[in-house]
Parts: sequence; C-alpha cells; structure tokens
Amino acid sequence: MKYFLKVVWAEAVKQHRNYFNNWTIYISLFIWPLFSFLSAYYSYSAFDVDGTLISYINGKNILVFLMLGYMAMSFFRSVVQSAWNFSRERQSGTLEYIYLSTANRLAVLMGNALSSVFESAIVMLVFGMLIIISNRDSINVNTISLGIVLIIFIAMALLWGVFLNACFLYSRDTDFLFTILEEPMEIFAGVKVPIMIFPAWAKIVSFIFPLTYVLEALRQVMLNDASVSSLSNILFACIGIIIVLLSATLFTIGIVEKHMRKTGNVVLF
Amino acid sequence: MEYKVLKATITKEFQVRLRAYPISFMVGCILTSFYTTFGAWLMYHYFFRGQLSDSFTGLTGTSDYMSYAIVGSLMYLFVVRTCLNVSRTLMTELWEGTLESLMLAPFRRVAYFLGNMLLQTITTFGETAIAAIIGVVFGLRIHEFNLIEFVVAVLISLYCFFGVSLILGCVMLYTRNTYITQNTLFTAMFLVCGITFPKEYLPFGLKVLGSIIPVTDCVSIMRASLLGGMPQAQVVKLAIKALAVGTVYIAMGMPLMKHAERIALEKMEG
Repeated sequence: MKYFLKVVWAEAVKQHRNYFNNWTIYISLFIWPLFSFLSAYYSYSAFDVDGTLISYINGKNILVFLMLGYMAMSFFRSVVQSAWNFSRERQSGTLEYIYLSTANRLAVLMGNALSSVFESAIVMLVFGMLIIISNRDSINVNTISLGIVLIIFIAMALLWGVFLNACFLYSRDTDFLFTILEEPMEIFAGVKVPIMIFPAWAKIVSFIFPLTYVLEALRQVMLNDASVSSLSNILFACIGIIIVLLSATLFTIGIVEKHMRKTGNVVLF
Repeated sequence: MEYKVLKATITKEFQVRLRAYPISFMVGCILTSFYTTFGAWLMYHYFFRGQLSDSFTGLTGTSDYMSYAIVGSLMYLFVVRTCLNVSRTLMTELWEGTLESLMLAPFRRVAYFLGNMLLQTITTFGETAIAAIIGVVFGLRIHEFNLIEFVVAVLISLYCFFGVSLILGCVMLYTRNTYITQNTLFTAMFLVCGITFPKEYLPFGLKVLGSIIPVTDCVSIMRASLLGGMPQAQVVKLAIKALAVGTVYIAMGMPLMKHAERIALEKMEG
C-alpha cells in the first residue's frame, strides 16, 4: 500500500510540473468556466424564473443552483483534459518508460487523475464557495448528507478520470473525446437545466454521464435539505457506477498489457 | 498585382482544403451551434415553460425567444469560423514551415488576408446553412424579412469579423498560441455580444466590453433584418457604429500584424 501511494504521489507531482509551469493554464481553468457560468446565469434573466416546474428552485437560489452545476462540472471536465494530456505521453514516448517500470498501472492513472481533479478545479471551487457563502440565506443544507455526497462526488470524479485515462492507454484517437464529452456534458448532465424536466429521450442520454447523478444529489442536499434516506436511489446508483468504473478500468489495464505483450509496441499499439 | 495575390491565395487555400481539410473543425462548430440551440430550446420550452421575463420583449422587440437565440447562435458560428480561419492562417504557415518563404515574397497583406476570408466565407455560408436547417427544426422563424437590411447586415458583419480576426491573429502570432487565445475570445464573445440574451442584462463593465466588440452590433442588425422589431433609424445608427468600430479594428490590425510578423520571424527558431 505504501508503495502504491508513492507511485500515486510521484505521478501527481509529475503532472503538476508538466502543466502548471505557465500561468496561462489558469485562463483555461478559471476564465472559461467563469464566462460560461456567467453566460448561463444572464441567459436566465430572459425568463420568469419563478415560473419553473422545479419546486426547490426560485429567484433567490437560482444563482447557487447554477454555481453548483458549474463547480461540479469543472471537476469532471478537468479529468477529461487530464486524459487528453495523458495521450501526449504516448506521442512523446514517455508512456513506454512508465510501462517498463514496475509502477502499478492503476496507481499511475490515479495519480494523474488526482492531480488534475484537485489542482484544476481548485480555483473554481474557491470562487464557488465564495458565491455560495455570500448567498447562504438562500440555501437549505443537510450537513450529514452533504458529507456523504461529497465523499461519493470525489470518488466518482477521480474514477471517471482514471477510467478515461485507461481508455487512452488503448486508443490513440483522442479528439473525439472532446466532441463527445465537453459540450454535451454541460447540456445533458443538467448543469444548466435540471434533468428532471428533460424529455424522455434526453433523459436517457443524460444517464450516460456520471456527473448527472452526483450533481442531482449535490443539489438536493444543498438546496432542498434532502436526507440520506430520501436520496437512497441516487446514492445507490452512484455507488454502482463507482464499482462499474473501477472494474472497467482494471479490465482495460489488463487488456492493454496483454495486447502490448503480443504486438510488442507501446507507443503505437 | 493585388488581384494576382488574391487569386493565388484563393487557389492555394482551395487546394489545401480539398486535400487536407480539418473536417473536425467544421463538425465541431456545427455541433457547438447545435448544443447552443438545444440548450436554449430546453430552457425555453421545458425549464421555464415558455414564460419570458417582462423585460425581454421590451429590450429585443420580439417575443420569439427561440428565433432570437438561434439567429444569435448562427452569427456566433459565423464569427468563430472566420476567426478560426483568418486569424490562424499565419500561425498555420508558421507551424507548417512555410512562413519564412511566404515572407520572402513581396506581397500586400490585405490581398492575402482577403483571399483567405473570401474562400472561408463561402465555406462558412454552407455550414451556417446546415446549422440554420437544424435551427428551423428547433423553432427558427423569419418574421419580417427585410432584404436591404439583410444585405447590409451580411456585408457589415463580414467587414467587422475581418477586423476582429486580424486583431486576434496578431495576438496569436505574438503569443504563438492559438488554443488559449481563441477560446478566451470565443467564450468572452458568447458572454458579452448578446448571443443568447440581450446584453442589457449584463453589468456595466461587461456591457462596455460588449459595445467595443463590433460583433454585438452585427448580431443586432442581423436580428432586425430577420425578426424585425427595430426602427429603421436605429438600424442605420447601429450599422454606422459597427462600420466605425470595424474600421478601427482593421486600421489597427494591419500595422500590428506587420509588427507581429517581424517578432514571429525573429522568434521562429527559439
């Protein structure tokens, strides 16, 4: 276990040195999500907010509702970016060295996701906390459920990252990820518009994204004082997803290793 | 001479397109337009059940939110595509290693950029048409079509977008970065240029930012020509303003581009 954590830490430090050597990274990590958040917020102004069907949303807490969405999304989006960056390891040939070392593959992927989840989302997190604190009258938090949901949230974001990284160990074509996961996540995971009111077909699409479930849980405990028992369905779904993601990752890592032994080429398999 | 450069650029670019066109850009842009439209559709029909705020009709002169948002997203698609092409041309030349030989040739930049722009415009019209068809499915309706206003809107938009892409191109060439610069400008334009909501809702600082980017006025004129709801005098005023701002962009962009080229050539090996 000590050895496993050592690898996780080493990879996280490596990622940090790779991507945080230039201040421009903060533009993509903070300015872009901030601008999209503001765009969404001001586009709500065109509507009569109190006329919505969702009982716990009103003119007062809509800002927090939206902020929670964009904050949560920044965690999930940062791992998509980290996975995209990970594919550069292959181009620059360093993936080969990782595979030659005895480092645990899962630990490497986890370190990568860990550094991106915590580092990339931190600015947005601080900003979101400030917004939420300044609007604390409008929220209705259930503290115990919040603790549980937060643990599940972190676990899910991490594993989502680990799983995407694992996919890139196998495939070289990474651009499709952005097309599939960047913008649709904003729409379908309910970041801007809650999924409860989606038409049926859009709901089905939204179930693909792990963010959908955990964001719904997060909003319920922050705005609607939801208890653990009332959220049990969503929470069970979340735990199910965590198990599926973890086993899918382990399975993929196994397949990749096997495939590589056969073809003997790490960089271009 | 000018005409020759223009023609040569168009021929060259056309060949590049035919043989190695980055189709992912095109698909990506149409998809972005689709997601914007789809998001607006969900918000309007499902989230807020068609209830607009009282101020919306007063500010925009129309009560058809879907058409309003779709025209905005189509114009956004247009400006993004122009920027992606015109601003990036010299960067692409730098990456591909042809900038040096290009700079050896004695030619006027205006014709070179115009050539790029013209070819791009034709492609972009095609893409916008595809996006517009998607828009019709989601509720794009033309209410009061005014041909003269429409032609004016298209011409002024092309002129202004050209100016914006020149300035963006300078920044790109100077910083030698396209990813951060272009996306920062795009997200900022989406916020301040009144793409999916009237810019009057924004706080003062952002409103000022919106008014110095000519895209804002172009979007307004285009909406007026398709959806109506704006007096003729107002349209003329906006058109003159957009023209003036666009001219400032182009007048600043041309000499700046020369300067940026020089710096790019100096730094090329480093």
